[in-house]
Amino acid sequence: MAKILVVDDSSTVRDEVAGFLKKHGLDVATAVDGKDGLAKVKADPGLKLVVCDVNMPNMDGLTMVEKVRGELGNAAINVIMLTTESSPAMKERGKAAGIKGWIVKPFKGEAVLETFRKLAG
Amino acid sequence: MTIRQRMTLLIILTFLAISSIGGYAVFQSRGSAAAVKQVTEGVVPSALASADLVAQLKEVQLATLALVFEPDPKLVAQSRDKLTARKALLKDALDLQARQADGAAQRGLVEQAKESLANYFAAIDETTKFKLAAQADMAQAYLFASVAMYQAELEVIVETLRIEKNRSKDAAISGLNASLATTTAALTAVTVVAVILLSLIGTLLYRQITRPISRMQLMMSEIAASQDFTRRVPVDRMDEIGRSIVAFNAMIAKIQESSAQLRQKTADIQTMLQNMPQGILTVTEGSRIHPEYSAYLETILETRDIVGRDLMDLLFSDSHLGGDSLAQIAAAVSACIGEDVMNFAFNEHLMVGEIEKTMADGRVKILDLNWSPISDEAGTTVRLMLCLRDVTELRKLAAEANEQKRELAIIGEILAVSQEKFHEFLAGAMKLIDENEQTIRLLPQSNAFAVAQLFRNMHTLKGNARTYGLLHLSNIVHAAEHSYAELRKPEPALAWDQRRLLEELAEVKAVVDRYARINEVSLGRKGPGRRGNAERYLMVDKEHIQESLHRLETVNTGNLHELVTVRDAVRRTLRLLGTEKIAETLSPLIESLPSLAKQLGKAAPAVRIEDGGYVVHNQASSVLRNVFTHLLRNALDHGLETPAQRLALGKAAAGTIRLQVGRDAGMLQIVLSDDGWGLALERIRGIAIENGLIAAEDPLADEEIARLVFRSGFSTAASVTEVSGRGVGMDAVQDLVKREGGGVVIEFSDSAVGAEFRQFRVVVSLPASYAVDVDGDDADLAYRADQPLLAPIEAGGGATERQVA
Repeated sequence: MAKILVVDDSSTVRDEVAGFLKKHGLDVATAVDGKDGLAKVKADPGLKLVVCDVNMPNMDGLTMVEKVRGELGNAAINVIMLTTESSPAMKERGKAAGIKGWIVKPFKGEAVLETFRKLAG
Repeated sequence: MTIRQRMTLLIILTFLAISSIGGYAVFQSRGSAAAVKQVTEGVVPSALASADLVAQLKEVQLATLALVFEPDPKLVAQSRDKLTARKALLKDALDLQARQADGAAQRGLVEQAKESLANYFAAIDETTKFKLAAQADMAQAYLFASVAMYQAELEVIVETLRIEKNRSKDAAISGLNASLATTTAALTAVTVVAVILLSLIGTLLYRQITRPISRMQLMMSEIAASQDFTRRVPVDRMDEIGRSIVAFNAMIAKIQESSAQLRQKTADIQTMLQNMPQGILTVTEGSRIHPEYSAYLETILETRDIVGRDLMDLLFSDSHLGGDSLAQIAAAVSACIGEDVMNFAFNEHLMVGEIEKTMADGRVKILDLNWSPISDEAGTTVRLMLCLRDVTELRKLAAEANEQKRELAIIGEILAVSQEKFHEFLAGAMKLIDENEQTIRLLPQSNAFAVAQLFRNMHTLKGNARTYGLLHLSNIVHAAEHSYAELRKPEPALAWDQRRLLEELAEVKAVVDRYARINEVSLGRKGPGRRGNAERYLMVDKEHIQESLHRLETVNTGNLHELVTVRDAVRRTLRLLGTEKIAETLSPLIESLPSLAKQLGKAAPAVRIEDGGYVVHNQASSVLRNVFTHLLRNALDHGLETPAQRLALGKAAAGTIRLQVGRDAGMLQIVLSDDGWGLALERIRGIAIENGLIAAEDPLADEEIARLVFRSGFSTAASVTEVSGRGVGMDAVQDLVKREGGGVVIEFSDSAVGAEFRQFRVVVSLPASYAVDVDGDDADLAYRADQPLLAPIEAGGGATERQVA
């Protein structure tokens, strides 16, 4: 029953983000791709926040979020995307999927901690 | 009149009109009702009753006939009663007619009928009497004679009355009809008049209401369309419309005020954007530059092509940032605009705070960037604001301050060591460095013994440097020592590399040289100094150095003004380093003047030095002392008179020698004058002729004669004194000064052309760099980070061609 789910195919990013959040006392679970993430969101109704990479194998991040909203009908969970680029088309798609924000990598923990606490609270 | 009053008036008028029409109608209908009643209850029944009268008459006639012809005597009485009843009825009917008679004609007829009826009834009564008397024949006869006659008469009268009644009834009905028609007509007319009047009044009132409203609406629309809030809708009435207009005008006044404030605010912002010495721009969706930006941005970026440009292209092209950094900035900017402000916090760290941007002409500018989000009420970042500052100058100054700091630190370190010890240290250091250099050059590969030697030398040098507190130097030496230590290890991480080792050593040597140069040039501590000589820090002492260092350490490197102030203050301190007052420099000479004067039989002269705020570098000390040894002695020996001579001339017994320091034509000038005889032109000329320097007949100007004193071997002294005239005269002074790149001239200070004695002054010129103006900011001596603190004073040799004398 974690509060935050970190979804990224790169173990480095996963460890960095999840590690940082755990170090600051947040309840964090991880998933390795969109498919895994979708399953974990479905399985754990206690999740409040998904921090999700965009480009991943099996299922990309935006598709995963769209499925969370559509298939799972979960409109409440907060989603923040991790990305290396930002295009108007991506932002448009994200907005439609009810995404709260975009974090351009590299991730800076101190900059997000307070907001994450709020979104996961 | 207000609209409400107008409306009320209209309603009242309408009400009055309807009431009066109604009242009139009621009045008329009542009259008509009475007339109708008159007709229906009076005239018509009366007419019918008149017809009844004829019938009653017939009934009486029949009853009479029945009585007369009643055969049965028993029934006669009965018939008589019947007749009597009939008669009564006829009488009543006639009485009714008498009551209902209308007009004289009817009444006359009724009277006639009454008379006739009386006669008729009398005749009947006679007849009845006969019958009752059983005189039937008589009765019959009477009946046919008298009764019939009266009956006929009465019939005629009653018929006439009936006709008259009918006529009267017809007249009454037609009169009633006429009256009703009149009433209808009158009512119609009144109604029509009322409708017309009300329409007129209504129209008038309607116009009075709607006209101003439509005028107001028109004006309001115009004001709204033109946005000209200086206009007002005229108020010419104080009803509801007037008050609405007043309220509207008040609203327009408010709008005018608000829009004026808005305009003022906009103008303020525009003024700020136009004048602030900072580049400000905002980035909109799609990374485009918004049209409103500060004018100074054009100055910073050196382009006017800004609006609508892509931020990345405008700002970061030709910057030192690599492709990855640029991609991150672009992504971060895009991730913020149009999104919740928290995204700015997430990605702010990727938006760089400083860039180096290469301008079109190759100059590199350092730009300080400050990012902030502009958000709307919903907390969405609509634009990013970017403040740019050109900090190139600031960074340069900070670097300069850093350099000054290092320089001052070194100076402080050197000053803490006595001149003698420092000299020893330098000599030792040079020796150690030379040894190491030779060792390294000789060895193409590593050699344990040699490396041990190298290490020992460097260790000694470091130890010495530390002992004397020369920290900057010891740090550099430590690096070299560390390399040697590494090479000594059984398996060194470093390979023996002659070139690298030599370069490393050269670094050490450069630092030692730097210390040596500062010691000699800036601090004027050349050579070992004299043992036991008190250390003199001249114009700048250790405290000065410490204070300057402290200022440099605490300066706010982000504040241009502060940096400039501190830099200039430190520069002044550094300029004054190794300088002293000229009185200080010449003090040994001045102090020796009284004893000299005594030997010459003169009173000790007063020496007045006006240094003009100039202090001289101590490298110039020996030159100045040499030059002024001669000049002061000459003044005392040849210039000043003996006390007796002076008193005879009305002068003070003791003479005065004046030294004035100044700067002229880019040279330091020291002017010496005295209040003695003046220049003995006649004698100089005599000696020159004697010595064969000139021919006796040569016509020489005073100036030319004066110049003779600079000729080699010239001496004017009457006898070779102890003090001057030992064959070392003005020619020697001139040589000395010329070697330094200066010159010496004699100038007359009076106008006694051709006189035996003339007042004069000796002007010694030396390079300007020999002295520093304590309060000035000598542009020609400006400190430059890439140059030594003080330009070394030019050696005399190369500058002799700068003839001044």
